[in-house]
Amino acid sequence: MSMTALRHSTAITVDLGEYFDNRGITPKSELDQGGFNIWSNTFPSEDLPEPGGTVLLGEVPFRFPAPNATGHDNFRCARQHIALPAGRYDWLYLLATAERRSEDVVSLHHVDGSVDPEWLRVSDFWAETPAHFGEQVEVRCHSLHYPRHVQGNMAPVIWRTRVPVPREIGLASVRMPDNPAIHVFALTLVAPVAGAAA
Amino acid sequence: MTAAAPKVLDNVLPWRHDLVGCLWTSAATILRWHDLPVLETLGAAWGFRHLPGGLRREEYYYPTPPGTSLYEALAPYHPIRSRWHDPVDAAQGWAQVRAKIDDGVPVVVAADNFYLPFRPAYQDVHTNHMVTVYGYDESAGTVRVLDTVPPRFDGDIRLDELAAARDSRNPILHDRDMFFTDVPIANRWLEITVDADAFPAFDRATIVRTIRANLAGFATEAGSVDGFAGLAGQRAYLADVAGRLDEGDDIRDELFLVAGAALANTALHADWLALAATTIDEPRLAVLGRSVERIAHHWTAIRILAALTTTGEADGDRLRRRFGALSDDQGRVLAELAETIADLDR
Repeated sequence: MSMTALRHSTAITVDLGEYFDNRGITPKSELDQGGFNIWSNTFPSEDLPEPGGTVLLGEVPFRFPAPNATGHDNFRCARQHIALPAGRYDWLYLLATAERRSEDVVSLHHVDGSVDPEWLRVSDFWAETPAHFGEQVEVRCHSLHYPRHVQGNMAPVIWRTRVPVPREIGLASVRMPDNPAIHVFALTLVAPVAGAAA
Repeated sequence: MTAAAPKVLDNVLPWRHDLVGCLWTSAATILRWHDLPVLETLGAAWGFRHLPGGLRREEYYYPTPPGTSLYEALAPYHPIRSRWHDPVDAAQGWAQVRAKIDDGVPVVVAADNFYLPFRPAYQDVHTNHMVTVYGYDESAGTVRVLDTVPPRFDGDIRLDELAAARDSRNPILHDRDMFFTDVPIANRWLEITVDADAFPAFDRATIVRTIRANLAGFATEAGSVDGFAGLAGQRAYLADVAGRLDEGDDIRDELFLVAGAALANTALHADWLALAATTIDEPRLAVLGRSVERIAHHWTAIRILAALTTTGEADGDRLRRRFGALSDDQGRVLAELAETIADLDR
């Protein structure tokens, strides 16, 4: 976890490494070692931020994933229950992308035991496919890795998307939906604007 | 056969939607070539049909009841039909396609991506794809091809490359030759008949009539038609396929094909409802369009779950959870559609 002061609020990056179950990023030297989608394509590491480093995407910092102990760098949504540093947050920002666009419900678990469903919406990672859900910021690659070659005219995307936290009570955890089409690479919690009513 | 003069047809235009495949993109190109509306035509019908004996390992699979052509199944409320031609060999296959182009008609052909140099699967993965051929230069040995599925290609390839793609055995050679392989391409091509003058106007009467027809289809009673149809048929099919997975059957490719067709059909109808909403100034249809879009997103998840049934990541219980959510949401949407249409009729 790391904390960054934004212009108007505070952002906390969350280490998702323990939840990763999919390898979606490979270097050119390991084309056949990953399998982001069902066709075993992967994002080229050469086009992406430094693994484990902090990358700023539209003012929001993300801990860009480094491979965990099993070599995975993202997870397919499968009802993971992710503990969060307890605190008040207005938004969950995610780096996520989907094998064809999809949407599903996440459960926001608050410190007082209350639970709210909210929508997670993620556009398609495929080349030549615009953001469907209004995502404004993205990480776009210049090529797509196939197990036996690099396809230069395919530009896959990881989207920055967000989920609102309407309840003004501390958040304790989030449960992801059961939707394997949606992949999550990073999560950042954005706290209320400084000076806003507590 | 003497070499014909080079020819490239005009008004052969791309069309793309993020939740559909080559069947719909090529059909859209044909509609645009006729100066006919795409979404109003391909998005009108919404339903569920599965004929267990009719499943075909093709990227362009769509359920077609006996006696119904592929394009009739896609657009049953519009005067558009198709007929597969089955040439005896590659030479006849090209002669027939060339003759249609000489007549000024673009041709939709089946092709194996393994032999198409513009496809990422070139020399890698076999599949049963569909592209539009709309020109040729036999003296240069080239044909003009449009393929709107990313990476979009609109240009010339060698005639012998297209011939190899059309004549491919489409074999399974490795573990990524999935879903659409193991059926020879056989040089097939589609003859498409369109009665443009008889296309219905996209107006209030058509919109109400279309939604009523879709609702009637979803209300189909079990046993009244072959296979699985309507919402009850959808529930029954999904219960059946999950049960077969429980018993150890390999249902991966079947469910992937069924889900892909349902996903495209549902997604296009969602957009059709949104277009209808603005056309007749009826915001409730826009809300319903968004609800139908949610149904499409269920099918997105099911399509991937299907692929994961052979990796141990998706079992029958996991499928049933998603199937239940899909069918329950869909039942609510259909009830709201029925209520809205009743109001529009008053």
